[in-house]
Amino acid sequence: MDLYKEEVMDHYEHPRNVGEIESPNLQGRDSNASCGDMVQFQLAIENGIIKNAKWQGIGCAITTAAASKLSEWLVNKNIEDVKSKSEKELTKLAIGFEVNPGRLKCLTLPVRVVKRIWES
Amino acid sequence: MFDPSLIKKDFPIFSRNVNGKPLVYLDSGATSQKPGIVLDAEREYYEKHNANVHRGAHTLGDEATAMLALARSVVAKFVGGRESEIIFVRNTTEAINLVAYAWGLDNLRTGDVILSTEMEHHANLVPWQQVAERTGAKIELAKVTSGGLLDLEDYARKLKLKPKLVTMAHVSNALGTVNPVKEMTKMAHGVGAVVLIDGAQAVPHMRVNVTDLGCDFYAFSGHKMLGPMGIGVLWGKKEILTKMSPFLTGGGMINEVYPDHSTWTDLPDKFEAGTPNVAGAVGLMAAIEYLETLGMEQVGRHDREMVAYAISKLEKVDKVKLLGPVNAELRSGSVGFEYMGVHAHDVATVLDSEGVAIRSGHHCTMVLHKSLGLAASVRASFNVYTTTDDIDALISALDKVKKVFGK
Repeated sequence: MDLYKEEVMDHYEHPRNVGEIESPNLQGRDSNASCGDMVQFQLAIENGIIKNAKWQGIGCAITTAAASKLSEWLVNKNIEDVKSKSEKELTKLAIGFEVNPGRLKCLTLPVRVVKRIWES
Repeated sequence: MFDPSLIKKDFPIFSRNVNGKPLVYLDSGATSQKPGIVLDAEREYYEKHNANVHRGAHTLGDEATAMLALARSVVAKFVGGRESEIIFVRNTTEAINLVAYAWGLDNLRTGDVILSTEMEHHANLVPWQQVAERTGAKIELAKVTSGGLLDLEDYARKLKLKPKLVTMAHVSNALGTVNPVKEMTKMAHGVGAVVLIDGAQAVPHMRVNVTDLGCDFYAFSGHKMLGPMGIGVLWGKKEILTKMSPFLTGGGMINEVYPDHSTWTDLPDKFEAGTPNVAGAVGLMAAIEYLETLGMEQVGRHDREMVAYAISKLEKVDKVKLLGPVNAELRSGSVGFEYMGVHAHDVATVLDSEGVAIRSGHHCTMVLHKSLGLAASVRASFNVYTTTDDIDALISALDKVKKVFGK
């Protein structure tokens, strides 16, 4: 089926950047009330540039693949640039695959965590 | 003869396809589909009789009022209560909130105990948390055994705390467990508690008689029992309802209104402020008449057959771990399971691609899922139109989960 295409399954089965940063500059976590899935992101920042991004959590294939892709995309990005993007823009740029409306919350959970990181 | 494949033809929605495949609807525990006669009854009400009720003085108003009264008497007869004890609400959630606010706030004090169970739907837990916060009452939950049954020893132990209110699901929406509510009610009355039963998952599948159960309040929804959304019922004992203050106030529930105070009208109108959902009540009446034509005993037998069949098929599927009691005689309406190694939402999406609709998530039972150590689960739930073919389609579709996830 379309949703579980090769790229998504690859990130689900071999998620990138899973783990923790020893002393992160920023971190945040959030969960999806409908299923209890949880995602945590940690960022290491130098001179306004994201040098390292790690995440961990429990989630479905969509949430896991989305978090994995987002973590890869974030590295070497200017934090002002990331901050200026909306949730929708980040989802499109960093994750780049689409889901049906019933699964949208699974897809956007990692992006929501990163968007709220600046508030924490 | 009870033939679910013929019954299916009474439900217009089954003529559609989903993702190019015939709809296999195994999510009736969330909401049931509606037979044509329920849709026709609502439509006919609006086309021929629509007017506001209790305002008399014109023909349509009299007809609408009479139809609402007739619906109430049909509901009363269906569950074995009196007409004056049937309060129309939106759904089970609203019925429970009515008891929580109108009875709970006036009768619970600091330190009082509200006894419920770990297997409650959020609808029968969150309102009590709100009432506990406002009154200083405490919530205690009877435990669920590893076999998915209510732990009756723990229940008996917690009754010694002399709860003022005891509330439990008649049938668990996540485990399918049928609780021994008659016996539990007797035990609760033994310590002087008022008893509320959440019947949302029971009334669609079994003959419920509130007088026989002996409880004080019984709540259920129309939309899970082939009726429309937006109509539900609270049944309450007259002696208790009479003493209670109203929940919502406004038009339709007053006797006399003065600038600074008002007096209330009699039951059941005292609890039905504002324009009621007459079309919904008429639709619910049609649903009850449909169920009675099928026969509730046959409806119940078919439900147990579907549960037993689903269990027998699912327990043979590699990676499937069933939730709830293994004995189909102790359950009703649904079979929940975990697909080991694949998240419930992913299972649901793959099944949907095969036209199979099931529920995934925590089913509004986060406390239960935590106590079972589950993040989310999958639930197949049934109604009168469910066939063994539907369950076979679920089993075939689970093969696809295996293909997609290699597990």
